[in-house]
Amino acid sequence: MMAVAGVLVGMLIGALPGVGPPSGVALLLPLTFGMEPTSGIIMLAAMYAGTMYGGTITSVLINTPGESASVVTCLDGYQMALQGRAGPALGIAAIGSFIAGTIGVVLLMLVSPLLARWALSFGPPETFALMLLGLTTVTMLAGEDPLKGYISMVLGLMLAMVGFDIISGDARYGFGVPELIDGIDFLPVAIGLFGLGEVLAGAEEKTAQMKISLRLREVLPSLADWAQSKWAIARGTVLGFLVGVLPGAGPTVASFLSYTVEKKVSKTPERFGKGAIEGVAAPESANNAAATAAMVPMLTLGIPGSATTAIMLGGLMMWGLRPGPLLFEKNPQFVWGLIASQYIANVMLLIASTALIPLFVRALRIPYSILMPLIILFCVTGAYSLKNNLFDVGQMLVFGVIGYFMKKLGYSPAALVLALVLGPLAERALRQSLIISDAGLGIFFTRPISAVLMVLALAAVAVPLVKWGRTLFSRT
Amino acid sequence: MRNTDRITAVLLLVVSAAFAAGALKYYKWWGHDGPGPAFLPFWLGVVMSCLAALMLFRRTHPTPVSLLPQGGARTRVVVVLGVTAAFIALLKVLGMVVGTALFLVVLVRYLGRHPWWLTIAIALAAAGANWLVFVYWLRVPMPEGMFWTF
Repeated sequence: MMAVAGVLVGMLIGALPGVGPPSGVALLLPLTFGMEPTSGIIMLAAMYAGTMYGGTITSVLINTPGESASVVTCLDGYQMALQGRAGPALGIAAIGSFIAGTIGVVLLMLVSPLLARWALSFGPPETFALMLLGLTTVTMLAGEDPLKGYISMVLGLMLAMVGFDIISGDARYGFGVPELIDGIDFLPVAIGLFGLGEVLAGAEEKTAQMKISLRLREVLPSLADWAQSKWAIARGTVLGFLVGVLPGAGPTVASFLSYTVEKKVSKTPERFGKGAIEGVAAPESANNAAATAAMVPMLTLGIPGSATTAIMLGGLMMWGLRPGPLLFEKNPQFVWGLIASQYIANVMLLIASTALIPLFVRALRIPYSILMPLIILFCVTGAYSLKNNLFDVGQMLVFGVIGYFMKKLGYSPAALVLALVLGPLAERALRQSLIISDAGLGIFFTRPISAVLMVLALAAVAVPLVKWGRTLFSRT
Repeated sequence: MRNTDRITAVLLLVVSAAFAAGALKYYKWWGHDGPGPAFLPFWLGVVMSCLAALMLFRRTHPTPVSLLPQGGARTRVVVVLGVTAAFIALLKVLGMVVGTALFLVVLVRYLGRHPWWLTIAIALAAAGANWLVFVYWLRVPMPEGMFWTF
């Protein structure tokens, strides 16, 4: 029941132009506060799946991707829509997502316990190295300008320092403001950056209205479409899951990679970009498989693979659940509940997306002038309902303005939110490691797993630096 | 872009230097058995200063974007932000239901120039739905204001 409601609400929010999965989940998270943990989590998982698909709808119909993971879908999806084949495009995306999501959940079930058992042997140095790897890879992939990505990330870490120090108990950077003693909550920040920031950026444009009509019959792809895309879906699923499991990579990379692969293996690569159905099927399957796979590092290691999973992680921590290897031992009923609800969410998504697409398309016809105030209202109530105080709402407003400028100047709100969520955990791991080692940095490089992770993390920092150095060199 | 990037860099440099200095001044650098509360903030301040300096002095620049849009777009952004800020500031006085309805009337009318009846209908419906979901169903205590008590 919660899964059904979650998928529907998620799709609806995700289908609104300008609201992608991270903003969708951030906006919807407060809805789950009043519920008991199990139904809350189920609803959250369902909303996650729903918003992912909701982003696809806007990509295909109005050429506006909900988040980076569905950018590739625009290439061929919007072309198909222009040719009057929006129905099959959305249909194959739904079927591909369903297949990929289902296989993804099965793999999630198989892989997670193994990874969790392995991760149980992790001490503070490994945890810190892993978090560093997660932070650097997400940042590396976050935007065009790696320097701005790193600035966003370090800013997030600096914000994470506000509040009680977990080890000594000192309050830091509170400036005497009582609300800051507990630290900066990630939720008002996420709602501000993603929700309000997007709305403000959207306020600049007077968006044109779209006239689209769809019927159920038109949503189902033909047999020929199916034959053309079945292998694309299979390849997308496998690739998506593999990429999604890596901390930091996530759905976006998966969708880009699978599109490139499809174009390479295709006998008619010239059709890509002009409405090839494989160009929709493969990345959509891949991003859904990756979205499911991203739950693996989030649940077993506590490292989210994308902005959306970072927000999910924050949500879980609000329930008092600390994602990580111990979660599987301490809260097995929760983990399996979440996995089961992912499965139900996938089934629901298939039904809802084929049956209700025409209805959701109507949501796109609501003029932005009405939609925008409603989204702002949602941001305000969402930020308020976290702790029932107006301070959080003010914080949300401030971060909305920051988010607007970050978007305009090319900084990465995703890296900031991820760093804010991981910051306190990373600091504790770092300081515990240094206590163990008696303040020697060698501890991160003498333990084998930690050493490998550290080297990878440092490589993620070094690659853009080397590139940057090279451009500097070639200019002088 | 070049200028906005430089200004941002200078701002970040100042903030991060103050951040690092503040850490050293107010918090303990070293606890009794390991790094203290000032340790990581200090290094974060240092790293951020380096990043900001890098941005200040680098030569390559991406495509130019202006910080604030011009003309009508700028007015719209400023008005939307102003109305939202006023809404939040007045929430305690007006209460959630009345405040929401007023906020929606003002903003929907401003952005869309829809007929009054439609504007007011949307505002009332949304304020009601918002109350129903959050206050009635989810039991979140919203600010009540001076006009409305439950």
